[in-house]
Amino acid sequence: MAKKKFVIGCFDDEAVLFPAVKKVRTAGYKIHDVYTPFAVHGLDHAMGLRETSLHTAGFIYGITGTTTALSCISWIFTKDWPLNIGGKPHFALPAWIPITFELTVLFAAVGMVLTFCYLCQLAPFVKKHHFHARSTDDLFVMVIECTDKTNTDDLQAFLTSGGAVETNVQVAEEGWWLGRYDQNEMPFETKEIVAA
Amino acid sequence: MHLKYESQLREPLVYGDKNYHQVTEDIVRPIEAKPTRLWYIGFYIAVCLLLFGVYAIYRDVTYGIGQWNLNKTVGWGWDITNFVWWVGIGHAGTLISAILLLFRQGWRTGVNRAAEAMTIFAVMCAGQFPIWHMGRVWMAFFVLPYPNSRGPLWVNFNSPLLWDVFAISTYFTVSLLFWYSGLLPDFATVRDRAFTKLRKRLYGVAAFGWTGSTKHWQRHESLSLVLAGLSTPLVLSVHTIVSFDFATSVIPGWHTTIFPPYFVAGAIFSGFAMVQSLMVIIRKVFAMEDYITMGHIEAMNKVIVLTGSIVGVAYLTELFMGWYSQNKYEGYTFWYSRAYLFSPYGWSYWGMMACNVLSPQIFWFRKMRRNIFVTFFMSIIVNIGMWFERFVIIVTSLYRDYLPSSWSVYYSPTIWEIGFYTGTFGLFFTCFFLFAKYFPVIAIAEIKYVLKTTGEGYKGRMDKIEGESLETFVHDHAH
Amino acid sequence: MKEISLAEYKANPTEIREEREAELKPYGGLEKFEGQGTIYPVYDRPGIKWGMSVDLNSCNGCGACVVACNAENNVSVVGKPEVLRGHEMHWLRIDRYYSGDMENPNVVFQPLMCQHCDNAPCENVCPVAATNHSSEGLNQMTYNRCIGTRYCANNCPYKVRRFNWADYTGADSFPDNQEGIVNDVVLNMNDDLTRMVLNPDVTVRSRGVIEKCSFCAQRLQESKLNAKKESRPMVDSDLKVACQQSCPTNAINFGNANDKNSAISKVRVDNPNRQFYVLEQLHVLPNVTYLAKVRNQDEEKKEGAHA
Repeated sequence: MAKKKFVIGCFDDEAVLFPAVKKVRTAGYKIHDVYTPFAVHGLDHAMGLRETSLHTAGFIYGITGTTTALSCISWIFTKDWPLNIGGKPHFALPAWIPITFELTVLFAAVGMVLTFCYLCQLAPFVKKHHFHARSTDDLFVMVIECTDKTNTDDLQAFLTSGGAVETNVQVAEEGWWLGRYDQNEMPFETKEIVAA
Repeated sequence: MHLKYESQLREPLVYGDKNYHQVTEDIVRPIEAKPTRLWYIGFYIAVCLLLFGVYAIYRDVTYGIGQWNLNKTVGWGWDITNFVWWVGIGHAGTLISAILLLFRQGWRTGVNRAAEAMTIFAVMCAGQFPIWHMGRVWMAFFVLPYPNSRGPLWVNFNSPLLWDVFAISTYFTVSLLFWYSGLLPDFATVRDRAFTKLRKRLYGVAAFGWTGSTKHWQRHESLSLVLAGLSTPLVLSVHTIVSFDFATSVIPGWHTTIFPPYFVAGAIFSGFAMVQSLMVIIRKVFAMEDYITMGHIEAMNKVIVLTGSIVGVAYLTELFMGWYSQNKYEGYTFWYSRAYLFSPYGWSYWGMMACNVLSPQIFWFRKMRRNIFVTFFMSIIVNIGMWFERFVIIVTSLYRDYLPSSWSVYYSPTIWEIGFYTGTFGLFFTCFFLFAKYFPVIAIAEIKYVLKTTGEGYKGRMDKIEGESLETFVHDHAH
Repeated sequence: MKEISLAEYKANPTEIREEREAELKPYGGLEKFEGQGTIYPVYDRPGIKWGMSVDLNSCNGCGACVVACNAENNVSVVGKPEVLRGHEMHWLRIDRYYSGDMENPNVVFQPLMCQHCDNAPCENVCPVAATNHSSEGLNQMTYNRCIGTRYCANNCPYKVRRFNWADYTGADSFPDNQEGIVNDVVLNMNDDLTRMVLNPDVTVRSRGVIEKCSFCAQRLQESKLNAKKESRPMVDSDLKVACQQSCPTNAINFGNANDKNSAISKVRVDNPNRQFYVLEQLHVLPNVTYLAKVRNQDEEKKEGAHA
């Protein structure tokens, strides 16, 4: 992991944010990310992010649950330890539907949440750099990654003209580390690397 | 850039002229303030009840289930009644958060967080009963199908009780995941504005390092939608499976095909009643009248009158079938053990009818639906009625079934059965008091999301624009 | 329970059979009831199939079978306070059915024990498969697998399953803690000397498990092994279950119902007109047949006239 230089522009209204995102992208800047206090619909498209395929993963997990349940139960009841329970046949499919359904849902839900946490690097004790404390309150924080050619002053002025209420420049770690939010650790080497 | 436009005829979901920051302030305020004296008193009472429950369970485990008044005929009494009652209550949260999300009911945002919390705590309480009602609870792990050195000896996948094990644990897990994934952004909000070190540290851990990145939000939305899609059949399946405990048996009064839909409707009914009881208190104590509005309360009362009537139809259908089937055992159960007022348990049947079917009908009147006191009173009545329903189903079916030689003596609970029940109230309210103090009781991010379309302030401004353009329109076309 | 007067029986000997036929008609009638009463295929039951028959004509309700069962199977004696709470542990009970004059009623005694149903409703509901069917048609109970949910007892239409509500036998994981909880009578079983009355062939059940009639599984096993030692098939004379052994009127017959030559088969074949099953219409397929009581009412009337 390494530190990078970013220019930050804060907006206080999503209606202002959308044209600004468009302008910044047309101007050729690379938007590192936009941090918002709630899910702003359409922002992912405006930023050119691809659709998430989390739901496909969920479907696969669900199918895995169905298969696991059916194959385990039928193996146990017909091969491993067949018992005469209440005169039912060993392969008593109707009686297995409830458990099969429950395991499908369980696998899909647990699998999806774990995948979500893995993809977004979310876990207890994980710490990340936060560009603005109010990005979880009422500010929409656009973070632009600088190259060695970027003129930060120009960029800040450009953002302000686009409606940003606050701009600044930060050198920050973009990855995650294990840390506490009440302390300021220096997680990795402090050497500044500017992206080419 | 909200393109969504909501009709001016709809009531605002958020009252007052709020901006995003004001929403954060309003909802996080109770977390940052010191607990009130009332909170301490309530918490203390809840913990006392919980401790009494723990002692009651200690007696039951050490000396045997003989501590309870169950007998060879009535093998389940208060224990399973309370189990089904709590599970039923635990249905509203997921219903509100999942089914109403799919139906795009905006009003769910005000109440979903607390309702989901209630669901999780209610399911925790419910889970206590099947565990501690076992004769040998120290062998409870036998219900888990894992490879073992006893044969290997597996579980009975055909048993409705095992279906219950899977249904309740899946429901609890999925509800918890759904609830917690929704809490992550709100914990981050609390973390980022925390001014004490401890709070920053603890909420820092709880928020899992949430940043609010657009990509994360995109995945979060996808996750919520799929979890809602999964939870919808799940929430219907859970009480269906609980009803299978009875419906798949051979006991008259239990062996009924109507049980699954009737149990699900009853579960929603009692769950909404419990949500009402809690919401009426929360909005008052935490001054959240702007977020949990009369509109919310009215909407939930509509659900109550609908589901209450469905349950009423089910009761009548059962009675009809008791006669129409011409099965003498079933007829006896429905027409004597239950519906005959002067039979030993007739009081519980008519208590159920009065609380569940007759009294909620007052919610056909708008004035009643929008009356706080009536709402609160009715929510308590409905939950009493639903407790009676489970008691009626379990005890009146068991105590006189096929062979009169085994008909039971009158079953009434001992102090330890009652203690166990009150203990779960202790558990529920202990958890709920902690939740209300330390968790954002309203989903902050979701309120912000609907604020611009449904907030009173924004709606007002929209109204003005609408009015102006209408005048311009008329003006332009006058000539 | 079925009862018929001698006069009626003479007039129409097949009345009981017709009654059963009429009741089962929608489900295939007597012949096809097993196959047509269910969505599942018929379970094949080769080899030994234990069966019992109780003749209600012979039973005079003396209760010897109950006592014999208690002694043979280490059934707990729980004392009056527990019995009043419906906690008695008898595996075998005698049901009484009254008819006629309230002041001087007629009584029919019906010994009722586990019916060892082929489609046992108790087995289906046990979450841990602690109760299941043996290949010899026994509804068997595995005490050390039982976790005590009591669902099987609830779902038994005959209510013959018994739950150990307290530590009646001193066999519990929590030793000697029942002082003041159960009656002193019960505590006798916690004493080393009195415990010597226990039958060493039968497991003593601990608190929190279900128990019920096992058709004296220990005796069945012994008889099979004795026959095996002598390298011959088992015959009726090898075996007597406790209630059968103690019955002074020989009302109880027991044996291998799949063996055409056994007494139980003969009783069933010879008495098609008196035979019935308790709660037959539930399709639980019990293995205990009862022979209906035929009451000679004319004689009773005559006796009444003399008195």
